[in-house]
Amino acid sequence: MKRQLIALCLIFIVSAGACKKDSNEKIDTEYPVIDISTADAFPKQCSVVKRGQKFNFKANLTDNAQLGSVSVDIHHNFDHHTHSTEVSDCGMDPIKTPVKPFLLIKDFSIPAGQTSYQVNAEINVPADIDPGDYHFLIRLTDKEGWQTIKGLSIKIQ
Amino acid sequence: MICLYLLCLGSAQAQKLTLSGNVRNVAQRPLQAVKVILQPGSRTLLTDSAGNFRFTGLSGGNYNVSASTDGYHTATATVYLPVTQPIVLILTPSRHHLHDVVITDQYAQLRKKEESLNVEVVNSDFIQRNLGGSLMATLSRLPGIKTIGIGSGQSKPLIRGLGFNRVVVVDKGVKHEGQQWGADHGLELDQFAAGEVEIIKGAASFIYGSDAIGGVINVKQAPIPAAHTMGGSVDLIGKTNNNLYGTSVNLYGRSKVWFFDARATYQNYGDYRVPTDKVSVYNYPVSLYKNHLRNTAGTETGLHFSTGYVSDRFRSVFYVSNVYSKSGFFANAHGLEPRQVDTRLHDSSSRDVQLPSQEVNHFKVINRSTYHVENHQLEMELGYQRNFRQEFSNYINHGYMPPNYPDSMRVRIPSTLEREFDKHVYSLNFRDVISLGKHTVTAGINGEYQDNDRSGWSFLVPAFNQTLAGAFVYDKFELNDRILLHGALRYDYGRINMFRYADWFPSYRDEDNTRTPEYLVRADNKTRTFNSLVWSVGMNYNLEDFTIKANVGKSFRMPIAKELGANGVNYHYFSYEKGNADLSPEQSYQADLSVGFAHNRWSVQVSPFYNYFSNYIYLNPTSAHDYFYGAGNQVFQYTQSRVARYGGEVDVKYQLLKSLTAEALGEYVYARQLSGDKKGFTLPFSPPASLLLNLTWSPQVIRGLNNTYLSVDYRLTSKQNRIVPPELVSPGYNIVNVQAGTRIRLYNQPVMVSLQAQNLFNTRYLNHTSFYRLINLPEAGRNIILSLKVPFQLVSSKN
Repeated sequence: MKRQLIALCLIFIVSAGACKKDSNEKIDTEYPVIDISTADAFPKQCSVVKRGQKFNFKANLTDNAQLGSVSVDIHHNFDHHTHSTEVSDCGMDPIKTPVKPFLLIKDFSIPAGQTSYQVNAEINVPADIDPGDYHFLIRLTDKEGWQTIKGLSIKIQ
Repeated sequence: MICLYLLCLGSAQAQKLTLSGNVRNVAQRPLQAVKVILQPGSRTLLTDSAGNFRFTGLSGGNYNVSASTDGYHTATATVYLPVTQPIVLILTPSRHHLHDVVITDQYAQLRKKEESLNVEVVNSDFIQRNLGGSLMATLSRLPGIKTIGIGSGQSKPLIRGLGFNRVVVVDKGVKHEGQQWGADHGLELDQFAAGEVEIIKGAASFIYGSDAIGGVINVKQAPIPAAHTMGGSVDLIGKTNNNLYGTSVNLYGRSKVWFFDARATYQNYGDYRVPTDKVSVYNYPVSLYKNHLRNTAGTETGLHFSTGYVSDRFRSVFYVSNVYSKSGFFANAHGLEPRQVDTRLHDSSSRDVQLPSQEVNHFKVINRSTYHVENHQLEMELGYQRNFRQEFSNYINHGYMPPNYPDSMRVRIPSTLEREFDKHVYSLNFRDVISLGKHTVTAGINGEYQDNDRSGWSFLVPAFNQTLAGAFVYDKFELNDRILLHGALRYDYGRINMFRYADWFPSYRDEDNTRTPEYLVRADNKTRTFNSLVWSVGMNYNLEDFTIKANVGKSFRMPIAKELGANGVNYHYFSYEKGNADLSPEQSYQADLSVGFAHNRWSVQVSPFYNYFSNYIYLNPTSAHDYFYGAGNQVFQYTQSRVARYGGEVDVKYQLLKSLTAEALGEYVYARQLSGDKKGFTLPFSPPASLLLNLTWSPQVIRGLNNTYLSVDYRLTSKQNRIVPPELVSPGYNIVNVQAGTRIRLYNQPVMVSLQAQNLFNTRYLNHTSFYRLINLPEAGRNIILSLKVPFQLVSSKN
């Protein structure tokens, strides 16, 4: 009887194991890439932009499967609250209290089905905002929901 | 499964023999209401007022009898039937000596044979031997148990890959309610106050209600002291890694029927150390001062008092406790967000707690009463808990928040109070355990009411109140001396009311350079109600050296307020978390099997499981960004998907020599989403496969030393490459832990000494289920833990 029971248990285990199939189906586990290393990419770490002027945000966005969306957040760093995700630090101005800091939160559409996209978006810097240290935060997702973040330190003069 | 039942049914034999006996204390006085268990068959009786018990209808052969009651060690005897005379079992008071590991192991074995679900039972000796940063960290040595942790003192349980609100923690009979959903804080339990911990791996909703879909951790109080005794113990503990020092002092006493038990615990620790002097938060290199993980120090206190009345038929005990902790978060990152650090401020002391930090206070009052009359055992628990948690951080204007914290807000909410959760919980459980011949029927109700408030300048979850009520009936049927059958049915009703919240600052919709300010309504008044009917069937088949148990059941979990009503930006995760008010209760079907074999020097246990969720609730990272409600962050949306999970644990033990045992504990979990956006992906925080190899030397006799042990754990953990956004692949690692201990006599006073070396070789590794995994923080380096326990007896029982 013991033997029968062991056999039954084995059948149970094997059949439970047999439920597993198609487990080698490929899933995407790669993060998208924000590339600002090309000569025309802007801004880069420690770039300077001017008040009352426009600049073009340019970066190469790539993903192995399909890009999702890209969002940009420009906010002040007068209190030195966070540092960027980059290695070099740009020699920050002394800490100060913001009066009218620039704030921009914007997302840019990426056409569906792309694995590579060059974002080129015009950004207006108002003339009446506080100059100083700012963060330029780029968030890029792919279709699967992997997100890459690049936090750049920039200066507005 | 059906075949198994049929096979077993055929084994009925002629049953006519009787085994009777008497249970006494060392003074030869009879002991009443002692639980006597007969194996095989798991038949249970209570002794009468003369200490007698009697099992009838037995067949010839070997039996194991055990007798256990509060305040005494369990006594066991092996009997070969037929016997001519009643047997006598003598119980020795447990507080006179330190717990004997061997005997409690036997109790755990009996418990396993009676329960068709997968159960692990550990006692305070196990806790002392494997003492980790928190109770859950200590338990993570068990196969199938992992933790989601942050820092050195906070962690939450993960049973077979399920955690958060999918694991119920029961403390003194009442469900422990804190902020279970968060990964960055721990459970408010004092591990020195735990008497015994029972862990159910697998769904147990039918008895514990909503949330027990992944498993249950049942923390039991210390046993009630024996009559006419008074004593206590002092624990001292020190750890080298985070320079922790702590103590826990216990005092107890009992007259004939009244008793008290008091405990105070204090622990203080510094920043913990990792085997590296530089970590990378994203691409940004952070240097660590003297390997210290900046600002991870903390303190913890626990105050416990219980008192009650104990008699043969009636017992009522009040438990009051307050557990408080204050701890810092790693200063160079708040959540996953890199932070600038004033290193001079932070590195001047490794013991201070600066910002960001958290404080949690958990207060409890519980009454447990039992009344025994004829074949009924009535049990009741009444509880009140208050969980108060605050998270502190400097105000930073994320998203559309104003650049400076306004003074009008400052009067309401301090500028450093980022989040506050205030929870009041009222619980009631009532059960009647009825012995009807070979049936033991348990019928009961559970009720819980919660009132949750929130504060702080950041918003994630709305305020809410919720009511849960459930009724269940559970029958344990002893078919014959080898087979136990289990069947249970439960109905639950739940209602949740969420309350309106609007931002205190305006957000801007940027359209053609016209900025329209709007105070966003994050949550509206909303009510949801839920119903659920669940069931479970199981069996135990116990032979002398062979055991099988099987269980199949349906479990459920009601969606929590965060899943239904979250609508806020979690800036520290770069995520905008969006609840879904239309979620339905999670339904899960689980099949469990456990096969055990013990013969001579071998003991083997294999416990596979299969689990299917028809609608697992999951926070799905989408490809979208929301620039208005989400202030430009990635949208994480709660959705439901079909999920299949399977895996199991293997435990192989071999007695090499009389004093030397080798053990291998393996665990594996596989999870897969079968539908939805993340079809093909696993679930978040999937623990990698791991194998623990252990060698334990416990010499029987060394002069002047008792209970001596030396144990080496070699844990091999595989790489985890089954990940889901935003996780990272975690490489495999091997670490070595060593435990040693003994009991010595100093000036005629017994002292229990335990020494541990965790991560002996100071290995640098990443724990896949650690909160800080995402910013690549390695786990704690070598940690030597020394703990002393000094029990003392002021008045000893004269009998």
